[in-house]
Amino acid sequence: MSPPLQTLLALAVVALAAIWLARRALVKKKTTGCGGDCGCDAQKVTARLKQH
Amino acid sequence: MALPPHIVAAPPGPAAARQPVYALVGNPNCGKTTLFNALTGLKQKVANYPGVTIEKKVGTTYSQHGQPITVIDLPGTYSLAARSPDEAVTRDVLLGRRADTPMPDRILCIVDATNLERNLYLVHQILDLGRPVIVAVNMMDLAVKAGLNLRLSRLERELGVPVIPCEALHGKGLIDLRLAMSRPELPLSRHAWDVPTAISAAVSELQAALSSHDRKPPLIARAEALLLLTDQDSVRVAGSTPLHARTAEILAQWKNRWAGDGTDWAATLVNSRYAAIQKITADVVLRAGATGPNRSDKIDAVVTHPVWGWLILGSVLTLLFVSIFSFAETPMTWIDDAFSALADWTRGHMGDGDLRDLITDGAIAGVGGVVKFLPQILILFFFVGLLESTGYMARAAFMMDGLMGRVGLNGKSFIPMLSSFACAIPGVMATRTIEKPRDRLVTILVAPLMSCSARLPVYLLLISALLPSESVPVFTKAGIMVAMYVVGTVGAFFFAWLFKRTLLKGEPPPMMMELPPYQRPELKVVVTQMLDRAWSFIRSAGTVILGISILLWFLAAYPKAPEGATKQQQIEQSFAGRAGHLLEPVIKPLGFDWQIGIGLITSFYAREVFVTTMSVVFNAESEKDKEDTKPLRDAMLTAKWPDGRPLFTPLVCVTLMIFYVFAMQCVSTLAVVKQETGGWKWPIFQTLYMTATAWLASFIVYQGGRLLGF
Repeated sequence: MSPPLQTLLALAVVALAAIWLARRALVKKKTTGCGGDCGCDAQKVTARLKQH
Repeated sequence: MALPPHIVAAPPGPAAARQPVYALVGNPNCGKTTLFNALTGLKQKVANYPGVTIEKKVGTTYSQHGQPITVIDLPGTYSLAARSPDEAVTRDVLLGRRADTPMPDRILCIVDATNLERNLYLVHQILDLGRPVIVAVNMMDLAVKAGLNLRLSRLERELGVPVIPCEALHGKGLIDLRLAMSRPELPLSRHAWDVPTAISAAVSELQAALSSHDRKPPLIARAEALLLLTDQDSVRVAGSTPLHARTAEILAQWKNRWAGDGTDWAATLVNSRYAAIQKITADVVLRAGATGPNRSDKIDAVVTHPVWGWLILGSVLTLLFVSIFSFAETPMTWIDDAFSALADWTRGHMGDGDLRDLITDGAIAGVGGVVKFLPQILILFFFVGLLESTGYMARAAFMMDGLMGRVGLNGKSFIPMLSSFACAIPGVMATRTIEKPRDRLVTILVAPLMSCSARLPVYLLLISALLPSESVPVFTKAGIMVAMYVVGTVGAFFFAWLFKRTLLKGEPPPMMMELPPYQRPELKVVVTQMLDRAWSFIRSAGTVILGISILLWFLAAYPKAPEGATKQQQIEQSFAGRAGHLLEPVIKPLGFDWQIGIGLITSFYAREVFVTTMSVVFNAESEKDKEDTKPLRDAMLTAKWPDGRPLFTPLVCVTLMIFYVFAMQCVSTLAVVKQETGGWKWPIFQTLYMTATAWLASFIVYQGGRLLGF
């Protein structure tokens, strides 16, 4: 893979990562609390509840 | 005093016309939530009561004929005299004080079979309401093990309502309970107890006012009158309907008259209720054999001893941290080697270019730098789970209570602060059980000072840089780790003391805490909890940390330096380098350079990102032998100031650890503090005081260390 193509692909990956992180930080959480980020089972319970 | 003859209970008519609503009530730790889960399975909805951050859990169960029954799981409480916001919600729902939650048609009271007398106090108050009630006596197996013989048919006769024995944890007794819940008509309690004559006039007048002004049904009015006369009723929460002015006036008049008498009539009323309960339990509870101290009491005599207790607590913590270092070393080396091999393999199979650098120096270095600490996190949570499931954690809380009282902290603050050792977010949320808003706020403000698991990778990296020699005894490394946890805890206590004497003055109420019996740890539960934590850690590394690593690589690689520039020159003029240079004047007095500054900026998102940042910054700097990725610790130890002095001296490593002990580097915690305190004022204050303390403490350590010749 040529260096210019690598640069293009790398910048595309960086842009995707930036958009994903920004969206994650800015989009208002629907649930209260940590949303399971801290290792509690909140996400698991929510997922199970959604299935039913 | 028997019920006045003119008072008749409201018929449970509405229940027959629509889906019946049961409220589940009980003392904390009586197995209420286990029973709720057993009854409703996954048919649950969790929301908040409007205006308060207290969970409203509603589920659906089915009668014996398959008809749906709504079940509301109310927060646990020892009495209807609420002392905290969540207890106030239980009281308000049962008394019909909440407009957002209709009064339940029926009440399912869960009581702990091993502690019937204490649990019956709440049941006794609820029976006053004159609603259809079922009593579920849970944990019957533990009562049998404790040598208790409960004559439940007598209890049923005394209370006049169905009494069902069950073991919610093992699913026993649930069929009988469902059958009882399915009954179209439930008998109303005919229980009677002697309210002292001197008080009955007050009860009658207040009851009449509640009936006429507050439009309460007669029995609810009587129950509420009894409650208002014994309760300080200090806890009011959003959504609770206030008393009518006339009723409040009558209440105030009676309380003033009692205060003038010099007799504690409220206590007399409580005691007369307990006397009625004791009369019931004397007939219902038979104890087999001697009534001396049981096994748990004997163990507690040593474990909570003023001298031995502290020695045991210290030994347990030391064992925990020694294990973290000694058992995790080999698997950590494996993980490190695996990520190094992966980076080397990628380099060998891709030509020079940005994508290759992004994969090796960004993604692999960043994620690998954090994932290598997985074994230590597994060990930490395995031990914490063991201590919790044996019942020792509650003893640790008991031991700490006296100490916390001295700094003005509420005894109930211990559990939130203990939870904060894992993560400040559940710790902050656990403060909801604290009665006084000021005590709760103080606990929220100091909880993030307890060293959370996100600090663990930072401490571990810096300890390995501080003591790089393999010959250093594991006790020394563990000792430094314990010292960091102690510094954080002492800091939390100091600030609690300071806040309680300045910003948030007030006396803490006495703590009431239940010590569960010691039991053999449930290994399955411990391992499941540990794996949940591990999965959360890996998920975070594979998503957020990966995203940040990619972004950090970009910030360290762009804008590009002119052709022929060294890696050092490249990172120095990159976006990250410029940000680090901007911060350097502020952190130079702490012994930190711009490269560490980059880590301090990025780790404001989450503390463990510091490790990722160091991986990206120092791997980018590594020039020699590009086919071999150097371990991060070695790369850090070769880092130098422009004048050739080593950057990560032992003093700088200690100073950095001190900085991370005190700094508020966690966006998620700030968001939860905002949610719990209802605004940005306190999270901003928290960030400022913690960051200022981190800087000041680091300054003292670094400059003091230099003066002492380190």
